[in-house]
Amino acid sequence: MLIKLSGGTVYDPVHGINGEQRDIYIRDGQITRRPAATVDIDKTYDLKGKVIMAGAIDMHTHIGGGKVNIARMMLPEDHRQDLVSRTPLTRSGCGHAAPSTLTAGYRYVEMGYTACFEPAMLPANARQAHMEMADTPIVDKGAYAMLGSDDFFLRMLAAKKDQEAIADYVGWIINATQALAIKVVNPGGISAFKFNQRKLDLDEKNEYYGTTPRDIIKCLAQAVNELGVPHPLHVHGCNLGVPGNVQTTLDTINSVEGLPLHLTHTQFHSYGTEGDRQFSSGAAEIAEAVNANPNISIDVGQVLFGQTVTASGDTMRQYAGHWHAHPKKWVLMDIECDAGCGVVPFKYRDKNFVNALQWAIGLELFLLVNDPWRIFLTTDHPNGAPFTSYPHLIRLLMDRSFRNDMLSTINKDAAASSVLGSIDREYSLYDIAIMTRAAPARSLGLKNRGHLGSGSIADITVYNNVKNREKMFEKPLYVFKDGELVAKNGKIVKVTTGGTHVLKPEYDKSIERSLKSYFDKYQTIKLGNFKIDDDEIVEHGNGHIIVQPCT
Amino acid sequence: MTPLIFTLKIKPQFSLDVSELTPDKLAKKNKTQIKSLKLNYGKKKVPVTDLFTITGNDSENVQILRSCDKLVCVGQGISHGTIEVKGNVGDLVGQHMKGGHITVNGNAGSWVGNGMSGGRIDITGNVEHHVGAGKPGDAFGMTEGFINIKGSAGDRVGDRMRRGIITIHGKAGDFCGSRMHAGTILVLDKAGRNVGTGMRRGTIILSKQPKHIVATFKSNGNLKMQFLRLLFTQFVAMGKEFTKFKNFDPEVHRFSGDLARNGKGEILILQTLNLKK
Repeated sequence: MLIKLSGGTVYDPVHGINGEQRDIYIRDGQITRRPAATVDIDKTYDLKGKVIMAGAIDMHTHIGGGKVNIARMMLPEDHRQDLVSRTPLTRSGCGHAAPSTLTAGYRYVEMGYTACFEPAMLPANARQAHMEMADTPIVDKGAYAMLGSDDFFLRMLAAKKDQEAIADYVGWIINATQALAIKVVNPGGISAFKFNQRKLDLDEKNEYYGTTPRDIIKCLAQAVNELGVPHPLHVHGCNLGVPGNVQTTLDTINSVEGLPLHLTHTQFHSYGTEGDRQFSSGAAEIAEAVNANPNISIDVGQVLFGQTVTASGDTMRQYAGHWHAHPKKWVLMDIECDAGCGVVPFKYRDKNFVNALQWAIGLELFLLVNDPWRIFLTTDHPNGAPFTSYPHLIRLLMDRSFRNDMLSTINKDAAASSVLGSIDREYSLYDIAIMTRAAPARSLGLKNRGHLGSGSIADITVYNNVKNREKMFEKPLYVFKDGELVAKNGKIVKVTTGGTHVLKPEYDKSIERSLKSYFDKYQTIKLGNFKIDDDEIVEHGNGHIIVQPCT
Repeated sequence: MTPLIFTLKIKPQFSLDVSELTPDKLAKKNKTQIKSLKLNYGKKKVPVTDLFTITGNDSENVQILRSCDKLVCVGQGISHGTIEVKGNVGDLVGQHMKGGHITVNGNAGSWVGNGMSGGRIDITGNVEHHVGAGKPGDAFGMTEGFINIKGSAGDRVGDRMRRGIITIHGKAGDFCGSRMHAGTILVLDKAGRNVGTGMRRGTIILSKQPKHIVATFKSNGNLKMQFLRLLFTQFVAMGKEFTKFKNFDPEVHRFSGDLARNGKGEILILQTLNLKK
């Protein structure tokens, strides 16, 4: 079947197309070159005046895995207040901050997203995470395996095993858990929490293993680089949410000595200690460092006001934040002694000084980092805000007067202590196309996604060109997934199943020998059962595997 | 001014959410605005005129006639005025109500007075489970107010209630007053098993010795508790059905517990009340 998208205004940053009128042809789920004039076109969409971009990619969103499920269980009121009825096509669901898997998939597609990535899959929980992602319809998925606080790795690091052996272990984990990248959460801090340490700086030693977060980041970043994993080490750094952590973040950037590194939800890591309340914005310093270091990329983790739930693997910082839980309940969990998670519901208030400044710091980061290829649009769903608020966030970035109107409604002290009002920059549609499509695809190594060139998978979103960008990005006119029309005017018209992006890096298989004896001695399951087979993901026709090449 | 009367003219097949028909939400609405209201009926939104015939004009006094057990969320969140229902109603009567008075002349479903923080609910018939209880995920059940049930109630009466009074003139089911934080429950007929399991504070007054009291309750023997005189004097002022409490002897058998929580709650079994059926 040959489909023609005729006359739309195309934004395709990978090919440098900035708002040019082009025709796009789709054949068998892929974008093709213009066919010969004699070839019959089966269906033509007249898209004059419409905006065409590749399907959006959310590279950091908690949509699966143990902690999201805990959040769902802990917040029945979140589900009661947001019910989604069954339709002839879609199934029923619920949930605002932590929606059910099905609802999450539908809502992403209705917003023009065609791929989303779960950033914190614990190797011990990987099977559960993949099952949940298999239940997330239409969108493509993928997950980053979480290392850095697991016993086997910390033992290796403490015993000063050579870098190659560690790289083999990292490679084995990526293969065994069907992951796409490696994430580290509060490097070693989750482990240190269990040895009664309540804070861990970049150069502070874990009391039991004697390792420091700096060692862990450096070692893992190198291992990821050696294995040829396209996405750099995904770092959730130390001291999340602690005033003054801007210095820690700057030190983290310097610690890798030029290796590629991705700093995630940087907004939570950009706090200074100036002012009367000992809480100020460090966005300018972070942005300066990011601009100066081309090896660093960041995503923001923007805070938007309202009720949400924070779900993180960072047990240490979630414990510190549990006093602010709203409603008053929280969960902290250890998972197989290898990692942990904390779930704390939270309400961001625009009249609260700290929350309002967090909101401003996130926007400052967006606007002060010059290169949109190295900054990604996220709210760290659901930690900063649910992903459904992305259109609002896009409007804040693209519309200066709207931003300043919002700024005038937040806490006055916070607004006064932020430089946000003096920033004139407005994002263009081209910049948005970079930061939500092209850049995440490039960063994750997805070769045939995030652009509209011939041979690329036909994940395409068509928007009405409305002046109110929130309205524009809320309900795209058409969403194509693998060349099939799946949503029209923000409503699902066809339900398909997406694939799972995985990586199969080369490593020395002899690492399994030492792993086997370790598993037999300490783990609750056997090594053979720990590994996730390809068939488990493909099972019941609920998905397929898309293997991405290593660099 | 005559009461605003909604008479149900269909036989509902699905649950019909009438939370829009309250004095709070109808206040300052003229007749055409009221007629243009839409109610959740099953999965659809249906105009109120398709479901009810509407007469009267006083939105402060709402009446729902020919009601049936498919009507849910009667009087949700009201803070003033009265609602009178003739016929049975479904679940969630007076959910989150803050004030006012709801009267149901018939039976009611589960979750009567769920999360209520003020006002009064009178039900002449029986009710199902979870009277004055909190829904899963809520910190507390009812936090203030008065629920008066002339018939019997199901299980978990006053589960996790924080404050307020529940009186049940008939029987109560199992786990009456379970996990209570505080408040008062009065049961004038038999109560089921496991009364007061996991209660922290609060008072459960029973008129008959239950067959079974949880092991973590401790008997304190027979006492004359003078505060009951005050309490029942208040009850007598609340309605005719309480007149039997005039000048009664406040002798009770007291159990304190649940000792597994912190044992500050009490179950009082009235010894001398001569109950006329």
